[in-house]
Amino acid sequence: MLQLVVAGLTVGSGYALVALGIHIILRSTRIINFAQGEFVILGGLLAYSVVTYLHANVWLGLLIATVGGFLIGLAYERFVLRVAARGGELTVTIVTIGTVYVLLYGHALVWGSLPQPLPYFSGGASDVAWHAFGFEISAQQVWVLGLLAVALGALALFFEGTAYGKAIRAAASSPVGAQLVGIDVDRARAISVAIAIALAAFGGTIVGPITLVGGAAGIAISIKGFVGAIVGGLDSPVGCAVGGLLVGVVEKLLEGRFGYGVSDPVIYGLLIATLLVRPQGIFGARRATRD
Amino acid sequence: MSDRIKADTRLLPIVAIFVIAFGILARGNTNLIQAATFAAIDAVAAIGLSVLLGNVAQISLGQAGFFAIGAYTLGYVSTAVTWPAAIPQWAQFVLATVAGTVLAGVFGVILGFIALRFRGHYLAMATLAFGLLVVGVVRITPSLGGAGGLTSIPYPQFGSLSISGVAAYWYAWGMVAIVAVLTFNLLRGRMGRAFEAIRNDDLAAETVGVPTRRTKIAAFAYAGALAGFAGTFYAAFLGLIDPSEVGVDFSIVLLLMVVVGGAGGVTGAILGAAIIGITNVYGHDLENWRPVVYGLLVIIIAIRFPRGLIGLFASRRTSQQTPQSDPDSATTEPTPRQTLPSASDDRAWLRVEGVGKRFGGIVAVDDVTFDLKSGTLTSLIGPNGAGKTTLFNAICGVTRPTSGRITIDARDVTGWQPHRIAALGVGRSFQNARLFGDMTVLENVLVGAYRSETATLASDLLALPLSRRSGRAAVERAEEALRELDLTRIARVRASDLAFGDRRRVELARALAANPGLLLLDEPAAGLNASERERLRGDLVRLRARGMTLLLVEHDMRLVMSISDRVMVLEFGKLIADGPADVVRDDPRVVAAYLGTA
Repeated sequence: MLQLVVAGLTVGSGYALVALGIHIILRSTRIINFAQGEFVILGGLLAYSVVTYLHANVWLGLLIATVGGFLIGLAYERFVLRVAARGGELTVTIVTIGTVYVLLYGHALVWGSLPQPLPYFSGGASDVAWHAFGFEISAQQVWVLGLLAVALGALALFFEGTAYGKAIRAAASSPVGAQLVGIDVDRARAISVAIAIALAAFGGTIVGPITLVGGAAGIAISIKGFVGAIVGGLDSPVGCAVGGLLVGVVEKLLEGRFGYGVSDPVIYGLLIATLLVRPQGIFGARRATRD
Repeated sequence: MSDRIKADTRLLPIVAIFVIAFGILARGNTNLIQAATFAAIDAVAAIGLSVLLGNVAQISLGQAGFFAIGAYTLGYVSTAVTWPAAIPQWAQFVLATVAGTVLAGVFGVILGFIALRFRGHYLAMATLAFGLLVVGVVRITPSLGGAGGLTSIPYPQFGSLSISGVAAYWYAWGMVAIVAVLTFNLLRGRMGRAFEAIRNDDLAAETVGVPTRRTKIAAFAYAGALAGFAGTFYAAFLGLIDPSEVGVDFSIVLLLMVVVGGAGGVTGAILGAAIIGITNVYGHDLENWRPVVYGLLVIIIAIRFPRGLIGLFASRRTSQQTPQSDPDSATTEPTPRQTLPSASDDRAWLRVEGVGKRFGGIVAVDDVTFDLKSGTLTSLIGPNGAGKTTLFNAICGVTRPTSGRITIDARDVTGWQPHRIAALGVGRSFQNARLFGDMTVLENVLVGAYRSETATLASDLLALPLSRRSGRAAVERAEEALRELDLTRIARVRASDLAFGDRRRVELARALAANPGLLLLDEPAAGLNASERERLRGDLVRLRARGMTLLLVEHDMRLVMSISDRVMVLEFGKLIADGPADVVRDDPRVVAAYLGTA
């Protein structure tokens, strides 16, 4: 049981980062990026290439994947999202779905359709594991949770503690007001999307050694990240992170209990149920809206 | 609306001739015939999505789920169910087809209910999850074959004729023909106008009497049923069905077909399905590239050519100059009309009792009480932010009051949906004149006549005489409303091309087409020039003379004071004065509210 919870928290870390990315992009651009999960896969594959073809250390892979994710995010915002946004919400949805397709099959084209292994952060080919209190925890699991905490801390520091982070938040909550005080709203949006994509790529690399990288899981990751965001509350960063972790735990518990294949439909059902019953999520504030 | 229908009218016969010619000429080529059969199956599903996306502006990324429901229903019914010997195999096939289609339609209703809660992205996400849910459930259900799917589904057999090969081609394109005709009829009729109104402006459609919720659910059900119908024959034709065929990929490919061909109407979806079908035959050299290219196509076409291929054929009607109706021309004598909804005796027709509305901590309307008698013109004035529009919204059901009661003709309508209140004879206009921009003036006003129409869904689908009669009556009614406001000259102009003054008049005509007993007009004079204001005054006086009850929110005091039987003043959500115009004008509290206390 505890074993499954730890495993769940590990995959949930990936979902948490996806959920946060979805939150950041939604906040700043009013767009839900269906392709978020594909960028997780892309990040892992970038790290895989660095490790395999440059014979580099996996940490360099993590760095390049994250920075690469940031740059790809800048381009994605500038050349895809920004252009699509002019066409309205339906167009944006169609376009991000198109992006899912391009990346899903683009990955297969470049890296093959089978998932690839990524070395463990400690120990390379085989993971180190400790036994304590009757359950087993591996070094990679510790790394994932630790790095998740680092990423969350860095994000909080950036958005709450720096002037630029605050400017981005201002641009997100009131674009016109932000423009009036001299904030470049377009740039703030680009940076936000870039950060979100970098987070996805980062997540793909840290979870990659456990889940393997590549394959067709991107859309499922997007949805689970979104489930996490919705369950936790789309307007609450903390909620998104917690929601993502929760989805991971639920998934592993269901798998442990009922076997592989049961967890996905349950989670999709959970999404629909949450949307119906409590669309603002667990942590989301109920806002008074004129309808 | 009608530009797409025109494209369908023009192109469908060509498509039909092509399909027949192809079936005859290519009958020897097994590969081509098979690919064309699959294209037809896809086209049936794509038509449903095209209607949803292009005509109602609702998205579904879960169409593969409905397709799966149809396919699995047929597969299960034809392999696992033991039929009585008396029922021949062809009848089993027909029954299974009906069952699959109906079941998918039922699930469409369910998804429609879910979809009502969301817009845009959330809807997309919910439908995506729905599609994945269906496949996920199928995958772990042993009686549906689990991950391996159902196999050995027999070919449908009509006597000695087995529906395979060329026969399957004709069957599949026959399905397309039936669906195309039904859809074409549907879009041309009452429901089609409601779809288009919803696509343009959901809220305005609801307030003129279109039951938008029910209509959207119907659209989801229709799209779901078509996808299910397509699925049934897919399983029968292929002889098997497994979860990998109906995954999210297929939902995206259907979306691609619709985006490429052009959403809305029938022909675009058929063209899209045919194009993807062609790449299925000739795309093998770039097999791995194909999906990447599909994805790029979706992105590029959605951004650059939002009307798709069909947009090249359907020229968007534009008017060279924007003709304005002439304010000085003599208005025609109003034709005698049917009786207006009004109170049976002298009692108040609309009664507002203690109505309040708060948004969070902000009180927009506070304990407002008044009633309106039939055939009177009342103005509601007050400083900006006094809560006038909120009060309007509460009366016509757009917002639900947090306290109090609203009765119309002694019926408690508090919390009713706007279209039901509209059906009781409450019409309204909006501050910023919310017309259906893509529709012509006449079509806009036709939507106003929606609830007077007698056509039903079935009569529309089958183009029965009832629908023709209903449509003709609606057009007559709409034309009468246009004549009354002297708008006949601009009846064929697109609403988005109109000058502001004309937009207001068209909105009024749209409300009149519903023959309302009570008209709520939100700042009807705002943005009008002097002669237009003069004409508005004439219209209002004439409507009152006909027995209509009018409630105006207006800032033009000269207009208000000169025509109102009664003036009510709202300040900070409270009614501070209520009485004849001259009395209210001199009320010290009103003076204070407008000029500030000295």
